[in-house]
Amino acid sequence: MKRINISQFYKGFNLTAFSLVMVFLYIPILILIIFSFNDAKIITGWRGFTTKYYLQLVENDAIKEAFRNTMLIAGLSTLISTIFGILTALGMENKRFSGRRIVSALIYIPLVIPDILMGVSLALLFNFTRVNTGMLTVLIAHITFCISYTVIVIQSRLEGFDYSLVEAAMDLGAKPATIFWKIKFPLMLPGIIAAALLAFTLSIDDFIITFFTSGRGFDTLPIYVEGTIRRGTITTINSLSTLMIGFTLFLVVITKRVRKVLISSL
Amino acid sequence: MNQGVRFTRDQNRKNLASWLLTTPALLWLLIFFLIPYLIVIIYSFLTPDIYDVNFEFSLDAYRQALGADYLKTFFLSFRLAVLTTLLCVLLGFPVAYYIARAKDKLKNTLLVFIIIPFWTNLIIRIFSWRIFLAYNGVLNDILIKAGVIGAPLEIMRTDLAVILVMVYVYLPYMILPLYSVLEKLDFTLLQAAMDLGANELKAFFRITLPLAAEGIFAGSLLVFIPALGAYLIPQLVGNQKSLYLGQVITYKIKNIPRNWPMASALSLILLFGVAVLLLLLFALYKRSKARRRV
Amino acid sequence: MEEIKLQNLSKQFDGFTAVDDVSLNIKSGELFSFLGPSGCGKTTLLRMIAGFEIPNNGRILIGNTDITDIPPYKRQVNTIFQNYSLFPHMTLFENVAFGLKIRKTPKPEMNDRVKDMLKLVKMDDQANKYPDQISGGQKQRIAIARALINNPKVLLLDEPLAALDLKLRQHMLIELMNIHDAVGITFIYVTHDQSEAMSISDRVAVMNHGRIIQAGPPDDIYERPNSIFSAYFIGETNLITGEVCDIESEYVQLRCPDGQGSSFEIDSTFHFNPTLGKEITVSLRPEKIAISRSKPRYQDDINMLRGVIEDILYLGSHTQYIVRVGALKFRVFSQHKRVYFDDKALDWEEPVWLFWHDTDTWLIDQIPEEVLSAKEISEGGVNHLSRSAKRQSIT
Repeated sequence: MKRINISQFYKGFNLTAFSLVMVFLYIPILILIIFSFNDAKIITGWRGFTTKYYLQLVENDAIKEAFRNTMLIAGLSTLISTIFGILTALGMENKRFSGRRIVSALIYIPLVIPDILMGVSLALLFNFTRVNTGMLTVLIAHITFCISYTVIVIQSRLEGFDYSLVEAAMDLGAKPATIFWKIKFPLMLPGIIAAALLAFTLSIDDFIITFFTSGRGFDTLPIYVEGTIRRGTITTINSLSTLMIGFTLFLVVITKRVRKVLISSL
Repeated sequence: MNQGVRFTRDQNRKNLASWLLTTPALLWLLIFFLIPYLIVIIYSFLTPDIYDVNFEFSLDAYRQALGADYLKTFFLSFRLAVLTTLLCVLLGFPVAYYIARAKDKLKNTLLVFIIIPFWTNLIIRIFSWRIFLAYNGVLNDILIKAGVIGAPLEIMRTDLAVILVMVYVYLPYMILPLYSVLEKLDFTLLQAAMDLGANELKAFFRITLPLAAEGIFAGSLLVFIPALGAYLIPQLVGNQKSLYLGQVITYKIKNIPRNWPMASALSLILLFGVAVLLLLLFALYKRSKARRRV
Repeated sequence: MEEIKLQNLSKQFDGFTAVDDVSLNIKSGELFSFLGPSGCGKTTLLRMIAGFEIPNNGRILIGNTDITDIPPYKRQVNTIFQNYSLFPHMTLFENVAFGLKIRKTPKPEMNDRVKDMLKLVKMDDQANKYPDQISGGQKQRIAIARALINNPKVLLLDEPLAALDLKLRQHMLIELMNIHDAVGITFIYVTHDQSEAMSISDRVAVMNHGRIIQAGPPDDIYERPNSIFSAYFIGETNLITGEVCDIESEYVQLRCPDGQGSSFEIDSTFHFNPTLGKEITVSLRPEKIAISRSKPRYQDDINMLRGVIEDILYLGSHTQYIVRVGALKFRVFSQHKRVYFDDKALDWEEPVWLFWHDTDTWLIDQIPEEVLSAKEISEGGVNHLSRSAKRQSIT
C-alpha cells in the first residue's frame, strides 16, 4: 500500500492556500485593470476595447485638482510628520528621559484606536473652534495620524544603532554636531526614508479621516473617487484606478531601488 | 564631589534635551489628538440641533445609544469584526507559514506580493470588488456563460459581500505579523517534537501554534479594531438595511439633520469597547507570558 | 611623553560600584594591561580615560594636565573598540581619514598620511572597500590605523582581539607589539584573557570588584601573587590552607589538615612576617611540582608528599595529574621529558610521590574574606577538571 507522506501533504496544503490567497488578492485588481479598457458606461460585462476613458481622465479638471490636492497634502504631511518623527525618536533615545511614558502613550494610542474616531474627534474640534474646514484642516489631520508611524519607524531604526560608533567618532575628535551630521544622520537615513514613504502612502490612501475634516470644495483623490462611485458615474474611475495602481507599483519598485542603493552605500 | 554634581547635571541636560526634542510632537498630539476627545466627551452630553449642537446638558444621546435602536448596529459591527478576524487567521496562517518556510531569496519576493495590495489605494480595491461581484459584474457573467447558474447571483450589497471585502482588505495586516513570528520560529523544534513521537498535526497544535500566539494576537488587534469602526467597506458594498457602527456615526455627523451628541456618544462607546478589549488582551498576554517563564 | 596618573578614581552606576578608588601611574611608552573577569571594572576604567564616562570621584592626569573634565573629542587619547566600530557608511580610506578631516587637515597632507598609515597596517591595497567587505582581522588593522593617525599620546585597546579566532589572535598579538614598538606611545590594554595580557604587557594590573588587586610585571604577578585572587586568576594553582606551626630564620612550616583527620607539613620561604598559630594559604603552581613513582632522595629544602593518582589528563605538551592527598586534590603538570622520567607511564590509582622546592611554595598574606572563596575556587576548579579528565579517559 502506498502511504502518502504527511509532510508533503502539509507542504502542499500551504502552497495551495498561498496560491488561493494570491488569486484572491490579485483577481480584483487584474479585473479592474482590464475593465479600464472596457467600452461601457456602467458596471457590466465586456463591451469592447477602448482607451477613451484615459483621454477623458486627462481632460477632467476635477480629477486633476483632486490629484494636486492629494499630492500637496501628502507631501506636506510627510515632510512635517517625518521631522516630528526624527525629533521625537532622537528625544526618546535617552532611556532615562522622564517623559518617556507619556510620550510613548501618546504615540502608540492613536494606532490602536479605529481611524473613524480620530475623524470624528477632529471634526468636532474644528466645529467647536469654528475653523473652516478645507486644506488646512485636512493637513492637520494627516499630520496627526502620520506622526505615530514616523516616530515608530525611525525609533526602531535607532534602536539598532550601535552607539559605539558615536563614541568612536568622539574619540577621533568629532564634536557632537559633526557626529550628528557625519555619523548619526547618514545611518538614520534609511529609517527616515522608510518612515517618509509610509507617511506618504498613508496620506494618499486615507479616506475616512479626510472625509471628516475636509469641507466642500476640497477633494483629495479618495474623496473624489468615493463621491463618483456613490453618484454612479464610474467611467473614469476604472482608468484612474489603474493609474493609481501603476503609481503604487512604481513606489514599490522605487523603495526597493532606494533601499538597495542605500544598503549598498552603507 | 564636583564630579558627582557634574554627572547629575549631565543627566539633567540630557533630560531637558529629550523634552525639547519631543515637545513638538507632544504638543501636536495634545492639541489634535487628546483635546478633541475632550470635546467629544463634552458634545456627547449636549442636545442636538439640525446643523450644530445646543449647549444644553442632556443624557438623551446615551439613553438612545444604549437602547434597543442600536442593538442591531452594535451586534453587526461586532459580528463583522469577529468573523473578519477569524477568517483572516484561518486564511493568513498557512500563507504566512508558507512564506516563512520558503527559501530566503523567495521570501522577500513573496512578501512584496502580499504588500502590493496593501499599498494600493483602499477605495480602488473596494471598487474592484464592485466590478467583480456586481449583478452585471464579471463573476456573474462568467458563471452564467459557463452555465453554472441561470440567473445572476445577488452578492453585491449583502453582508456576505461586506465580510468578503473586509477579509480581502485586512488579510495582509494578519499575514505580516504572523510571518514575523513564524519566521523567527525555530523549526527544529518541530523535528524535536516529532522525534519525541508527536505526529505532524500534534506538533502543529502543541508547538507551532503556541509559539505563534504572539503573532496571532498582534494580527488580530490590527484586524479586529479597525473592523469595529469600519465605514467605507459597508458603505460601498453593503446595503442600507443593515447599518454598521461606522456608518451610523458618520451619518449622524454628515447627514442632515445632524446629531453630533449621538455621534459622540456612539464614538465613546466604541472607544470604551476597544479599551476594554485591549486591557483584556493585554492581561491575557501578560498571563501567558508569565506562565511561560514559570 | 608623559605619565598617566589615575588618582582615587571611582565610578558608580545606579548604586553599583564599577570602579572603586583606583590610583595608579602608567609610565610613558609602556604597554600596560588591565586584566580581570567580566564586570571587574576594567572597561569602565578605560572608558573614563577615554572620556566616555565621567568619574564620580578622582582625577585623571596626562603629565601635569588634568583631563578629567575634558570631553573625549578634545583628548589626545584614541581607542580601539571591542567591535572596532568602523563607520559602515564610509570606505576604509574615509574611516582612517576621519580624524584628520575633523581637524581640517589639508587634502594632500591628509591623503599622504592616510596612505602611510594604511601601509603600516598592510591595508593599502583595500582602501576603497567598505567595512562589511573585509575580515575581522582586517577590521582590526583599520581600527588601529584610524586611531594612530591622530598621533595620540595614549592608545586604549578594549579587548581588541576578543572577536578573532585563536590563530588570528596570536598573529595580531605580535602585530600589536610590533606597532607598539614602531610608534612608541603608551598602550593601555584591557582584556580578560590572562595569556594575552601576560605575553604582551610590560606591566599588568589584576582587577576584581572595581579594585586593582595587584599591579606589576607579568612574571612578578605570576610568581609572587599578593592574593588568592591573583594567584588563582593568573595561571593555574593549588591553594592549600594550613596553620603556622614553626618559624625559623628563612623558613616557615605549615601544618595542613588533609580533610580526613590527619595532616601533613609544608615548608615555605616567606616574604612577610607570619604569626605563629595563624591560618594561612599558600599557592603552589602545578608545574613546580615533580611527580614520581619512587621516593625521591631526601633533601633539606624539598617538600615531599605521598598521594594517589585520581585522574590523568593528557594535554599534548604536558600531562596533568590530579593527585589525591587525604581529601585534598593536587594538580600537577608534568612535561614529557624522558631524560628525567625514564619510567613506565604512571597509572590511575597509583601511589606517587609529589615533591617541590621550598622556595616554590608561595605564602599569601590573605584578607579574611578571601578564605572562603579560595576554598570554593580550588575545590570547584579541581572537581571540574577531574570530570573532564574522566570524560577523556572514557573516549
